[in-house]
Amino acid sequence: MTHNNCNNHSQGIQTRLTRRQLVQNTALGAGALAVGTLGLPCAARAANEINFWATGTLDIGDPGWDILKNESGVKVNFTDNGNDPGPVVAKLAAGNANDIYDVGGLQGGSEKELAKRDLIAPWDLSQIPNYTNLWQWAKDIPYLTYEGKIYGIPTVINADSIIALREKASSVDSYGVVFDPKLKGKTAMEDAWINSVTFTAIYLKNSENTKIAEPGNLTADELGLVMEFLIKHKKDGQFRTFWNGWEQGLQLIVNQEVWVMTGWEPIVYAARDRGVDCYYAVPKEGYEAWGNNTILLKGAVNRGLSKMAHQFANALLSGFYGCKLGTLRGYFVPTENNVAYATAHSAAFNPDKVKELGEHVKAKFAGKVYWQNTRPDNFQLYEQWWQRLRNA
Amino acid sequence: MDFFLALPSLVVFVCMGFIPLALIATWSFWSFDPDTYWIKPVWSLASYAALLENGRATVLLRTAGLAALTATASTLLAVPAATVVGLLSGPRRATLLVALFTIPFFTSGLVRAFAWRLVLGREGIINNVLIRLGIAHTPVEWLLFSDFAVVLGMVAAYLPFAIIPMVLVFARIEHSVIWASQDLGAGFWMMFSSIVLPLIMPGIIAGFLFVFVVAVATSMEIQLLGGAGASSISIMINDVMRVVNFPLAFAIATVVVIFLIVLVIIANRMLKLSRLFEDLGA
Amino acid sequence: MTLDSMVTGRTNGGRQVFTAITALSLIIIYVPALYLLLVSLNPGEQLRLVVPIHYSLTWYVALLDDHRLFRALKESLFIGLATAVMATPIGLSAALAYRSMTRMRSIFLLVILSAVFVPGTIEGLGLSVMLRLVRVSPSWVTLTIGHLVWTLPFSVTVSLIGLSTVKPSTIEAARDLGASPLRAFVDVTLPLMRGSLISSFVFAFLLSLNEHARAYYLVGRQNTLPLHMFGAMNSGVSPTIYAFSGAVIVLSFAAVALILLGAAPQVRAIRRSAV
Repeated sequence: MTHNNCNNHSQGIQTRLTRRQLVQNTALGAGALAVGTLGLPCAARAANEINFWATGTLDIGDPGWDILKNESGVKVNFTDNGNDPGPVVAKLAAGNANDIYDVGGLQGGSEKELAKRDLIAPWDLSQIPNYTNLWQWAKDIPYLTYEGKIYGIPTVINADSIIALREKASSVDSYGVVFDPKLKGKTAMEDAWINSVTFTAIYLKNSENTKIAEPGNLTADELGLVMEFLIKHKKDGQFRTFWNGWEQGLQLIVNQEVWVMTGWEPIVYAARDRGVDCYYAVPKEGYEAWGNNTILLKGAVNRGLSKMAHQFANALLSGFYGCKLGTLRGYFVPTENNVAYATAHSAAFNPDKVKELGEHVKAKFAGKVYWQNTRPDNFQLYEQWWQRLRNA
Repeated sequence: MDFFLALPSLVVFVCMGFIPLALIATWSFWSFDPDTYWIKPVWSLASYAALLENGRATVLLRTAGLAALTATASTLLAVPAATVVGLLSGPRRATLLVALFTIPFFTSGLVRAFAWRLVLGREGIINNVLIRLGIAHTPVEWLLFSDFAVVLGMVAAYLPFAIIPMVLVFARIEHSVIWASQDLGAGFWMMFSSIVLPLIMPGIIAGFLFVFVVAVATSMEIQLLGGAGASSISIMINDVMRVVNFPLAFAIATVVVIFLIVLVIIANRMLKLSRLFEDLGA
Repeated sequence: MTLDSMVTGRTNGGRQVFTAITALSLIIIYVPALYLLLVSLNPGEQLRLVVPIHYSLTWYVALLDDHRLFRALKESLFIGLATAVMATPIGLSAALAYRSMTRMRSIFLLVILSAVFVPGTIEGLGLSVMLRLVRVSPSWVTLTIGHLVWTLPFSVTVSLIGLSTVKPSTIEAARDLGASPLRAFVDVTLPLMRGSLISSFVFAFLLSLNEHARAYYLVGRQNTLPLHMFGAMNSGVSPTIYAFSGAVIVLSFAAVALILLGAAPQVRAIRRSAV
């Protein structure tokens, strides 16, 4: 089963033009839109390789993937997709991602539109026995399901809050510290409305009693309130900068360029490794939850790699991957299999540490937690406001 | 004969440059389809109207302005440097200098821009030196996350683009003309401004253009070294694509292309650029 | 007697100012690169300058194991070379066409140059859509095409400059001596514009090596070096990427030194014969 003729399958671009519309429109544009119906030839490839195109957060390094191969029989070629859902979705929707990759991994929220346009395929849970051991609330995340089918398998889950330097801000317990005038010019937030707007909304809802229903999904009015708040603080010079990506965030804290910032928990671990005493705050307003999920690309199905892809997804949940990712990056796969694996392979992984990470994440999710979403209802309005913030 | 010479470049441009552009321009006049999160073939100027809101036009002008500033600064630095290389150095030193100017560009621009964050930061080496020398008492904040840092980072990254074309043009200068001017008693500045400068103008224009083009397209320096959430054309396009508003992203790109072409045409009229290059084409 | 000494003889003031500005330019360009080199010699995880006693090649050794980086490097080098190999002759042909045109030349030049004004992300996306339409699957070919469009305007301009430095009288002399137009071009013009041909090649190569916006949409399964770097900076990176930059600088310096040392006997021979 090496070469597959995929000429009869549709992939990629929207194919819903009626014949009348097709005739009416310019040949060029309509031709491009209709390319989905033509189907494309695809590269011949070995049958036991999965090309995993995912955010670097999900990477366990080539040695790690080798071990996964030995345990599950699936050879994984990992390619970093840049971590930004924008280009990833664009490359899937209009570009050539479906021709060269098989399984994707990215921040949740785009599953619905990708499913609608037949760019990803639903997972067949009967082929993923480890799915049953996933934590229930991970399975219940709403954007993973579309029309009753599961399109995203939760792979990494975490709840985010604030990173703080202990010697400069020793007892942070609220997001208010990021907006505190006493720390003017010493704070930072992430340059992404997905996170930063949610954090601000969580703060305003719970500490300043602003009328906000769902911080992760703001109405137009609520969004206006939150963004005016952020714009005012930016104009006041509250933020040293907005950061973008791991290395930037880590260096900001380690170089004491900022004293507090909203950010990802593993930055705290990495900073401590570098001798900087910082901690992850437990904010009274609650955490912001996010998930990176695995999606099955239609191209893989067309190339006959569906079974292998399911084996791969199953392998991600089988325990080794969770232990390795936890050790390497401090990220957590929401399944009980991790502890079981560590206990059985205690030479490679310390079962207590694995258990500790799991308990830690569980504890965060036991409290107040608000989910992040790449596609809130007014997502385009979010971008317009963010543009105004940029220009302020 | 002309046609065959021009053919390869035209093929490249028409097939691989123009056709995608036409596609993009067409799609910019279609609308975002909220049902499929893609494009529907409904003609509309909504994308172009959206360009006038939310400060998007400001971003365009600011990016062009920063690029022009960078190109100007680069040109001002490059002219003396190119003169030293092209006129005041023997062949070995010239080769060495050109190589020195080019080598950093073999390393990753992203990593170099990131290095400026470390150098200009509050605990960076420049602030350390300033404080130790007593020039500053607290770290100078505007060294980083400011327009200053952005322009510095861009000049450091793209200066070779300005220098190389200028150095190449120096081959046009006949040494006999320089000797003649010296015999007639011209000093260094006189010789430079009346003989060298006019002859190397095409190189200066080319250098300015190169730096401007690359600076307008980049997003790294602004994102890494600019203020909180600073924007540029590329950053704005990425923002818009992140919310799958492709018609708007394409409209931005179309407007940028037209705007820059108009700029070049205006500059051409004002500075008689084509005559300079005609000089080259003589 | 070199031009250098002629100019020096008169006044030192202007020359000193120019030399100072040249030094300043070099300093500005080298600050990030040298900082990276020095920082990569710090064996600790943190990016910090340390005193030379603590210097260590830890990260350079670790770099040797970074297979993904080397695969990305190989891909980038290959695509860069392919782009440069194509851009240089095509750029030269466009420059020659410009010179022999009369009325259409401004429009021709503008058309060629305008390709460079399209924002990279959009150009990459548009090109990848078009290439899918004509059933070209993503690989180094698609990316080289994208980079060719990006680098061609630079090559054309540099070639134009190079062509302009060849005096018409030199060509006339060659023709007078019986050379056909082609021979005059190959044996006289090309060697005289060698510097700009090399620059055109190197420009195209370096531009392609550093380009990531178009690369994202046009690349095949193997990421290029800039894409690898972006991914690494976004999601967690060991200091090996800084060691990589340091290694590039050191190796480049070494190569230049070798070339100059190797060329020294030739230069001396030229000077001796000129005197």
